[in-house]
Amino acid sequence: MSVSTVQLLPLAMVAGMFALFILSGLRTRSRQASDYGFSGGYTGRIGIGAAIASNWMSAASFMGLAGMFYLKGYYAMAFVVGWTGGYVLLLVLMASQIRRFGKYTAPDFVGFRYESATARTLVACISILITVIYSVAQFRGIALLVSWLFGIGYMPAVLIGAALVVFMVVISGTMGVARNQKLQYFVLIVAFILPLMLLNRKMGFFWLLPQFGYGAAITDLQQQFGFSWSDPFTTESLFHWLALCFTLMFGTAGLPHVLSRFYMVPGIRDARWGVVWGLFFIALIYWSAPAYGVLGRLVEARGGLPFTPDPASADMIVLSAVSNGGLPLWVVGLLAAGGMSAAFSTVAGLMLTGSASFSYDIYPRLIRPKASETDKVNASKGFFLLLAAVVMVLSLRPWGMIAEIAALAFALAGNTLFPAFLLGIWWGRANAPGVIAGMLSGVLITFLPFLLGGALPVVSNLLPATSSAFIGAPLVVVIMVVVSLLTAPPSENIRRFLAHEVHDCMEE
Amino acid sequence: MANRDGSRDISIFRPRGTSMRGEVRVIRLVLAGWLISIIGFQVFVYLLEVNYSKLLLSEFTFFNLPIHFWLTGQLLPLWFIILCALFNFWMDRHAVKSLDGSLRFKLRGANREGEE
Repeated sequence: MSVSTVQLLPLAMVAGMFALFILSGLRTRSRQASDYGFSGGYTGRIGIGAAIASNWMSAASFMGLAGMFYLKGYYAMAFVVGWTGGYVLLLVLMASQIRRFGKYTAPDFVGFRYESATARTLVACISILITVIYSVAQFRGIALLVSWLFGIGYMPAVLIGAALVVFMVVISGTMGVARNQKLQYFVLIVAFILPLMLLNRKMGFFWLLPQFGYGAAITDLQQQFGFSWSDPFTTESLFHWLALCFTLMFGTAGLPHVLSRFYMVPGIRDARWGVVWGLFFIALIYWSAPAYGVLGRLVEARGGLPFTPDPASADMIVLSAVSNGGLPLWVVGLLAAGGMSAAFSTVAGLMLTGSASFSYDIYPRLIRPKASETDKVNASKGFFLLLAAVVMVLSLRPWGMIAEIAALAFALAGNTLFPAFLLGIWWGRANAPGVIAGMLSGVLITFLPFLLGGALPVVSNLLPATSSAFIGAPLVVVIMVVVSLLTAPPSENIRRFLAHEVHDCMEE
Repeated sequence: MANRDGSRDISIFRPRGTSMRGEVRVIRLVLAGWLISIIGFQVFVYLLEVNYSKLLLSEFTFFNLPIHFWLTGQLLPLWFIILCALFNFWMDRHAVKSLDGSLRFKLRGANREGEE
């Protein structure tokens, strides 16, 4: 959906939504504060759930998932299952245990549990790498939206998008704006579902529950236009479907900005119930996203538009479905504002967390050991700008669709942080050499398809770039176990802490 | 508590103490429900696709949706929410029981001290 004019009404709606969030953030700033960039107001379990969902909703959820459905049909269901099923792992294996450790970041946790500054620094570096990859996905979404809003090409849109992200973070930081995540979630979910209801109504489908209404569109596509959605494993094998699904689940349970939610929740019980509410709020998006992909295809087919498997068009299908479906411009503007807001908040949170990781875990340890607090703050600001520049450059030539780029970040988290947290919590014998060897192997496994995939097709077949953690994460666990058993056990203090404080084994 | 050979280390495969054993038991049940549903549904869809006509998948509808869309896209996320809620109910109940146990222990201890 390329246009060459400025979309004034949608632009005004985007500006209005940002103004709303800034004003509401100014009102709540006196009630909360954080040095880590992921603060949020907690008012009960539903509030925690809304914060989890708001933190989760990014350009990948808002735009990318529908694009995957539009292009790849049933294969995209692996994203729905992966991005919801990961919360089960997170809840039963990690949420309350992480809270008991009383640490505030992933490097803090790993440094404390494995009693190793090297492991801590390695986690900080991996977190920054995850931040960069995940932010590229967000930047792609932002650039596509900016390109449409201003009627300009993709490359200048990346530059403008990056400038806007830096501007927003500076403004928010200067004014002390806190994120009102409950409001943000409510606005985003309305911005996503209301246009879908209107589109279903316009096309004559059941609109009250658009999550079910699109079933008739699948039938129409098949009967009227010969397009079949009913061949789930023809284009992608069952193995690849499961590999993607489990990679996303392991990644969900290992992403630093997802795990960070549980360090700061006031109570363990609240943390657990917050996950349930958060999962419900997230599922509302994922029950709806497939409908955009299917309806987008049907709108095009009815309008006689040829189907072109172009990733950029697919990533914009949420907007183009509504626009081509004949809905008013304000509806398209609402979606654009929601998408921009989701991408901006995610990328700002990620890059602030990445900068904090650099200034607290890398800068004073590797670069300037005697750094003062002022030095650290300056390093954090400088690194934020550097991160924005790196992400901007990488976004100029992205290597996939929004959801695919995000999936690579999940694969890296699933191959490195997930095994480190899992064994750190559930196996007292896991030690520093084990976790270091395991995480380095995980990094290698994640990037192996890029390094060897061309020469050895079996590598990219078994370890696809977006889905490597299906085999990679269990392999890393085995490496961690073997190396841990071959080296000295962790100290008695940490094993006692794990038994008594984390797992409550008082009677033995 | 921690022997040098590590034989009594915390492990999810060898849980220690009543509290951890109970928690690990329910974790295993939840994870079994999680794993079987994910793999089971996809194998079911795969077998339908391979052994029968693809048309069967489109004709088999539920709530307006082809059966595989409904099972995977609608039911699985709902099932995950149910699994999480069941886990939390069990944990809450378990926490209350543990608290009761510790209170009884403390009260008995306090009474004994009082008697002496």
